[in-house]
Amino acid sequence: MIRLQNVRKVFNADKSNEFVAIEGVNLSIDSHGATVLKGPSGSGKTTLLSILGCMARPTSGRIMLKEREITSLPERFLTEVRRETFGIVFQQFNLIKGITALENVMLPAYPNGEKHASLKKRAMDLLDLLNLTGKAFSKVEWLSGGEAQRIAIARALINNPAIIIADEPTAHLDTRLSREFMEIMRQLKKEGKTLLIASHDPIVYDSTVIDRIVEMRDGKIESSGDVP
Amino acid sequence: MGAIEKQRNILDFTLSSLGRRKGKNIALVVVYTFVIFLLASVLFFTHSLKKEASLILQDAPEMTVQRLLAGRQDLIPTHYIDTIRQIRGVQSVAPRLWGYYYDAMSGANYTLMVNAELNDRAGEIIIGNGVSMRSMSGIGNQALRKNDIIPFKTYDGSVLTLKVRGLLPFASELVTADLILVSEADFRTLFSIANDQATDLVLNVRNAKELSTIAAKITQIHPDTRPILREEILRTYDAVFDWRGGVIFMVLSGVFFAFIILAWDKATGLSAEEKREIGILKAIGWETSDILLMKFWEGSAVSIAAFFMGIFLAYLHIFLASSILFEPVLKGWSVLYPSFRLTPYISVYQIATLFFLTVIPYTVVTIVPSWRSATIDPDSVMRM
Repeated sequence: MIRLQNVRKVFNADKSNEFVAIEGVNLSIDSHGATVLKGPSGSGKTTLLSILGCMARPTSGRIMLKEREITSLPERFLTEVRRETFGIVFQQFNLIKGITALENVMLPAYPNGEKHASLKKRAMDLLDLLNLTGKAFSKVEWLSGGEAQRIAIARALINNPAIIIADEPTAHLDTRLSREFMEIMRQLKKEGKTLLIASHDPIVYDSTVIDRIVEMRDGKIESSGDVP
Repeated sequence: MGAIEKQRNILDFTLSSLGRRKGKNIALVVVYTFVIFLLASVLFFTHSLKKEASLILQDAPEMTVQRLLAGRQDLIPTHYIDTIRQIRGVQSVAPRLWGYYYDAMSGANYTLMVNAELNDRAGEIIIGNGVSMRSMSGIGNQALRKNDIIPFKTYDGSVLTLKVRGLLPFASELVTADLILVSEADFRTLFSIANDQATDLVLNVRNAKELSTIAAKITQIHPDTRPILREEILRTYDAVFDWRGGVIFMVLSGVFFAFIILAWDKATGLSAEEKREIGILKAIGWETSDILLMKFWEGSAVSIAAFFMGIFLAYLHIFLASSILFEPVLKGWSVLYPSFRLTPYISVYQIATLFFLTVIPYTVVTIVPSWRSATIDPDSVMRM
């Protein structure tokens, strides 16, 4: 589904603080599977996830999405690809404070021009699916960590993306909530979503949901293999 | 259809966003409204005064002839009437008697004018509302009413008492507030003016196009006179009100610049939280243009709301609250304008000018910094 060819990402290129975040990465992600990018802090997981999710462009190399080269697409088209193909769950959840949980869930779909009533209904259905109906009209800053993350998941699902990307999703959750998160991922995988998760939490990479682990260190892929 | 829904969705989000930064937005709207209020008040006020003055002058004589002595206005001999009447094109010539009377007790200047209707009612006067409120008879703050007696000090030092026959109607308060109508005999007694003299002469002509020719002939026959055309008075009024409006504008420009600085600071300085939000919106699939659209709606909502509130308050201030804030500057020297209601005249052209000078620049100013933030890479939000 996604193919990276010899991808390299350099920050602050040609400056004294130049930093090579990932180097020579070749990776293929198949549909309907769950892949974990595993590695210590600074190993390049988040950068690779950004590139896979069309949020950043590589300094060199190529990215193919469903056999279509997207590396050099203009920003507008890349945004469209990102909106339609990827749902992203951030490490800090990144919900917008001051507005309700429901509005947060609806936000990614606003630029699509869908009728407000039908969009609201879909958002309510998703909240229902994640047992958050009662929190729909609560402001997000009043929610617990687990609830905030489920809102972030609902938001990632609102545009019905094929791929869910999660960056260190359990970093701010206790063990119980981390396991709950993995159960939601299992459900999504069963529904046919492709999962891409960056994590160094054993609850994530040891979970039976995961099909494949890509180990990273110093910006390079150390090993990549299917979970037995 | 999708495009309209998109606009609606983004507008919805913008409006709920405004509520989230209440302090900042309320402060902006309050200051913005105040500036619009002041500017619109000046515009409404000067425009209405000019309009009112020109309406009143419509009934004024087409030409007034004064006599000058050593460059100052002097009494004009009434026999000039006969020679002026001989000029071709002159329809009528009439003498006028008017002047000012300073009342030491109230500290006010009154305009005294002879009214033909009072000529067979010597000893009686009709007074304007301002005169009635500023009692000259020393009976405290009570307003003068019909049949009250007012004492006047004549030019030979004696006292002349006149009885109030009635009050002038409120509608014409701009020119009648300080006006006292008297009979010719009383006027002449009060100011010791001989029977063969008048303050000035008023003329009506058959053809308005001949006004300047007739004026030239009058100065030829009577070189000591100065004919004044109605059009010239109108132009002077315009210039005076424009000048006063200009003075106020100069004072207000300081306020206006202070507002620009505040608006620039408040509207352009995106907080870290706002930048973060823009990053999130981009990461979840908003395009740069969507963010700019949101910021456009945000700027428009603040400035349009403030604009209309400012205009509304200015309307109340000028037309219902007697322009209490800058009455002393704009209405001149008279102390006789304690309350004064202008008839509302609003020029669409002025409102449009004010709109384009405030709402449009403000909206642009709010978009520019957002554009800078909106072009950041969406992956920056991954590292927050």
